[in-house]
Amino acid sequence: MGILGAGPVTQAIHLPSLARLRGILEVRHIMDVDPAVAESVAARVGARFSTSMEELLADPAVEIVAICSPHQFHAVQVIAACRAGKKAVLCEKPFAMNGEEAAAIAAVSAETGVPIVVGAMHTFDPGWLAAEAAWGTLPEQVHTVRSSIVLPPNPRFEDFATEIVGRTPPAPAPDKDTAPDTAAVKAMLTGGVMGLAIHDLPLVRRFAPDFRAVEVLHAKTVMPFGYVISLRAGDVAIELRAAMNGTWEPSWTFEAIGNDASLSIDFTPSYVHAGSATARIRTAASTTVLGPFGHNGYEGEWRKLAEIARGTGTAPRPETLINDLEFALAIADAAAACVDAGAAAYEEASA
Amino acid sequence: MTTPLLVQAGPDAEQTGAVGAVVASLPVSFAPAGGGPDVVALAGTAGWTASATAAVRSGVRGVVVVDPVAEDPAALAAAAAEAGSAVVLDQAWAGNPVLAESQAAVRNAISDALADAVLLDSVAWGAPGTDPETLLTRHLGAVLACGVELEGLRVIQRNANGYTVIGSLPGGAPAALQGITTSSLPATATVSVLTSSGRADITLPDSSAGWTAEVRSVTSAGAATFPSIYESAHRHSWRRLRAAIDSGAPEADLERFAALTALVGQLHDSPQ
Repeated sequence: MGILGAGPVTQAIHLPSLARLRGILEVRHIMDVDPAVAESVAARVGARFSTSMEELLADPAVEIVAICSPHQFHAVQVIAACRAGKKAVLCEKPFAMNGEEAAAIAAVSAETGVPIVVGAMHTFDPGWLAAEAAWGTLPEQVHTVRSSIVLPPNPRFEDFATEIVGRTPPAPAPDKDTAPDTAAVKAMLTGGVMGLAIHDLPLVRRFAPDFRAVEVLHAKTVMPFGYVISLRAGDVAIELRAAMNGTWEPSWTFEAIGNDASLSIDFTPSYVHAGSATARIRTAASTTVLGPFGHNGYEGEWRKLAEIARGTGTAPRPETLINDLEFALAIADAAAACVDAGAAAYEEASA
Repeated sequence: MTTPLLVQAGPDAEQTGAVGAVVASLPVSFAPAGGGPDVVALAGTAGWTASATAAVRSGVRGVVVVDPVAEDPAALAAAAAEAGSAVVLDQAWAGNPVLAESQAAVRNAISDALADAVLLDSVAWGAPGTDPETLLTRHLGAVLACGVELEGLRVIQRNANGYTVIGSLPGGAPAALQGITTSSLPATATVSVLTSSGRADITLPDSSAGWTAEVRSVTSAGAATFPSIYESAHRHSWRRLRAAIDSGAPEADLERFAALTALVGQLHDSPQ
């Protein structure tokens, strides 16, 4: 394996996960634009290091490429990895930032035959997979979906998993007595959807067959970082909540509710390697508890990737990945448009 | 020795308020009326304020109204004051004993969280077929009973499966109230106040049994769960009625309900 980008996610999430999979996957090459970080992180796993994507892709020891760089580089790097003839590519979510990039990735994947996995870790979580195997006809009756994420700032959890090198100093907290301007609010909502809600949006889409009919009804930011977004996708009401506050107690829940049955999943937080989610499928007469299992979705996605590279597993259909991305982009765009509509209404009322 | 007050309940009130079972659990305070009752239980269906006003004018010493729908209680309040009768509203979630004035530690924990709130997220669960307005009235009653002040409320979606109402807290933090119907979960209300460094969560149970409410507070120092109270909102309402009659001090239920009714009325007027 070769990993593009050796920031905190690689250090605290992926390398500890891979350390438990030594008989399956081996890290051969680490690339980061910061040579000190690349060298330090590579040394932890006895891998080569470099500061350029081209050098890593040219390394014959690398059969699988994992793309863990900042969002804006994902599409270019996925395409380059496919063209380099690797066995499989894992790209952190989101795997593109617009529809054109997504279409280009789908085309190159089809052309080269290189399978692509997007690191939507909750879709690989054993708790989610057990629920999916057990929920029967639930998706047909779901009328309401809720995703609620409450997390402390990432460094608290990163430090439980590893010793981070090259950590970027946190951005100054916004002044809570000063309302952010429209551009800042839009950026927070877009960042919230593409950076946080996106973890659960593939799950949401599983229960929203009319996912192209997205209508965002309301979008607000939560200080210091978070969102309250209400939307509809066809007949399904979808409520997204997130707050990254100073709490020590994380809470990450996903719910899908129908008239006669409902699903509730409590996910473990990222970084801490605390096993899988626990899922509960309820009816009036019963509660079925699934999990927790010993590994989380990150380890699940690596296992899946190894199976695909060996030819023993099936890659997700590119169409699924593109639909997931389009769903997320549509929500992010519409949430930002809500802010514009709100600002216009305010100006009209003030005139 | 305390003399039991004699209770009469109509069939609707009996069904929704489990009046017989509750009265049986307070045998020193109440007894079923064979003839003229001291107190009556009424169902809070449309027109309940007129029925309660008539009951007060008939000379009963107290009235319990079970699960009242939004309705202006001003005339009833005036009639009750004139007659010296006590009126207690048996609200599904707002009437839970964990939210009583006497629960100072709980109220302080919620109040502290609200003072530092970054988000209020509340969900009310109802059985399929529950009228959304009825669910919303119960829901808003629960939120207000937690000491929450809501501003700028508006309904952004409503259908047979529930509703979403958004607004803000006095400090500007967003507030979102969602009603959801399903038979897979009991009729529960949750109120979650996220703060800059923790949260407070209040879970109010179905009042058809003595399930306990849960109140949990998380601060930077740790988490606290408050003592459980195995008493339904129904039974707590009847205990409050007895106390109000014995002390002669009226409960503030109608005053609070007037504020709730006004809030529900504003939501009718707001664009959807």
